[in-house]
Amino acid sequence: MAATRRLQKELGDIRTSGMKSFRDIQVDESNILTWQGLIVPDNPPYNKGAFRIEINFPAEYPFKPPKINFKTKIYHPNIDEKGQVCLPIISAENWKPATKTDQVIQALVALVNDPEPEHPLRADLAEEFLKDRKKFIKNAEEFTKKHSEKRPSD
Amino acid sequence: MSGEEYDSDMDYSEEDCGYADYYNTEEDCDIDQIDPSKTDPEYFVFDCLSVEEVERLLNESVESLSNSLQITPSLAKVLLHAHNWLISEIVSKYRSDSSHLLVISKIKPPHPPEPSILQLGRLQSCPVCLASQSSDKFKSLACGHPFCKECWSMHFEVQITQGVSTGIGCMAQECEVLAPEDFVLNSLSRPALRDKYQQFAFRDYVRSHPHLRFCPGPNCQVVVRAKEPQAKRVICNVCRAIFCFRCGTDYHAPTDCSTIKKWLTKCADDSETANYISAHTKDCPRCHICIEKNGGCNHMQCYNCKHDFCWMCLGDWKSHGSEYYECSRYKENPNIAHESVHAQAREALKKYLHYYERWENHSKSLKLEEQTLLKIKTRINKKVMDSSGTWIDWQYLLDATSLLAKCRYTLQYTYPYAYYMEAGPRKELFEYQQAQLEAEIENLSWKIERAETTDRGDLENQMDIAEKRRATLLKDFLENWPILSSSKRKTFF
Repeated sequence: MAATRRLQKELGDIRTSGMKSFRDIQVDESNILTWQGLIVPDNPPYNKGAFRIEINFPAEYPFKPPKINFKTKIYHPNIDEKGQVCLPIISAENWKPATKTDQVIQALVALVNDPEPEHPLRADLAEEFLKDRKKFIKNAEEFTKKHSEKRPSD
Repeated sequence: MSGEEYDSDMDYSEEDCGYADYYNTEEDCDIDQIDPSKTDPEYFVFDCLSVEEVERLLNESVESLSNSLQITPSLAKVLLHAHNWLISEIVSKYRSDSSHLLVISKIKPPHPPEPSILQLGRLQSCPVCLASQSSDKFKSLACGHPFCKECWSMHFEVQITQGVSTGIGCMAQECEVLAPEDFVLNSLSRPALRDKYQQFAFRDYVRSHPHLRFCPGPNCQVVVRAKEPQAKRVICNVCRAIFCFRCGTDYHAPTDCSTIKKWLTKCADDSETANYISAHTKDCPRCHICIEKNGGCNHMQCYNCKHDFCWMCLGDWKSHGSEYYECSRYKENPNIAHESVHAQAREALKKYLHYYERWENHSKSLKLEEQTLLKIKTRINKKVMDSSGTWIDWQYLLDATSLLAKCRYTLQYTYPYAYYMEAGPRKELFEYQQAQLEAEIENLSWKIERAETTDRGDLENQMDIAEKRRATLLKDFLENWPILSSSKRKTFF
């Protein structure tokens, strides 16, 4: 199985590389196609918490892209209430089989740190982000305090 | 020069032409009348081709390009697809800077690939499946990114099942080089998959070809070919679908392709408001009894009080008259610039609804008139059975109905055109002609619904008037339509 061999290698590489912004990776022994992990952003207003995501790899991986879902609620123009995220690198049209999961995660962390209001999933938040940045940051900080997970101590 | 003088000059010149023609064959007066490309604004030459015929046509282009540039047919296809099948343009670009052309056509990478690290017989790991194999099991495109053959064929299989063919690219991150046809086909073993690839590629080739257009009819295989990608009416000779050659949607003269797209998107967005406001029934303006419209004609007669009125504006029908029919014209509030934002928004909605209601109303009328056609057919059968004229005597009524549909169709598509027109004398002229057409169409519809005798003179006269109004409007307002009598004017100015 191409998917299993490649995912095992990718998982091992990510774990040993010790990414600061993606940690606590949990993968069920019986199903390597589903990963969970914590996104730990550096930029305000998200740097007061951590956000759990789930990555689902299709059986045809790496010929088809993985899907990413936020399990933790987040106040973000590019992530909707269901936790769906719009990430160009894993869209069906742009996907390249040689793209590695750590590149996908880096793209995701960059998007969380710097929202892209030009192509929002939540138009209301994008508008607030553009028109009233102070209010947006205040709302997002409060939301993060209330809903996000604890950041790893180290 | 006043209109009258001009007209008399025209009469004179026509007579004169007929005479002069006898001696001077270069005079094109007569040709003007014969050549439909100069007299009919909807005239368009096209062929309906089968898939085999189109394949032959495309292969001829591929062969010609591959011969003149000495490249494989497979690369010729990538070039033709990327440059809309313009052979001469591709050849001249290739001659001036072949490398640049190959880069922008995504055949070559922008920077030459690094010297291959492949060494025969050595074991190497594939970046996609991570399996180690001997290097002869690897293949790469012009960009030099090596992947094992199994991964290439799996990549192609997944892409083809998703409907991608000419757009399949290299598997490396951020590499845009495309896989040419021979590279793909050589990697596929299953014949069914190869067939699918070729089907999808054919679809892409036709779509990128400016002279070809798939018939949009359901399950229709026909490809229409025309010399110029113009917004003209084509009729499929197999499924009879009528559509615009340039954009492939329903025919929309006099409105142009981009305007009709804008209009339809707007209608889809605003349909709820519009539907809410324009209900399907109206009250009689005199006795206030509720009336449901059951025919296409907008000249209504209340079954209760026999009041004649217009379904669109609810005004007395008599005031519409035959001279000046104003109900199709939207009257803009002249002081709108000084009103509040709220009032302006209301005015914008009001303006949109004015055009939308008329657009929607004619669309509904067209559907209702299909039912009228059925009723007419039964009526004809009954009349023939009662020995009131022969079946042939009644055929004019069917011709009238199909002409009515054609005129009403054009009338429907005049509303988006008018909506996007800037106020001014040209719009006034357009709306005047639109009103004239509207009035004649309603007369025709009224007469058809009530035709009781085989006396066809009156109706045929009405048909002629309606079609002339339609042709006049198209001649004056269809985009890129040359001024009809320019050649005649030249002869004596």
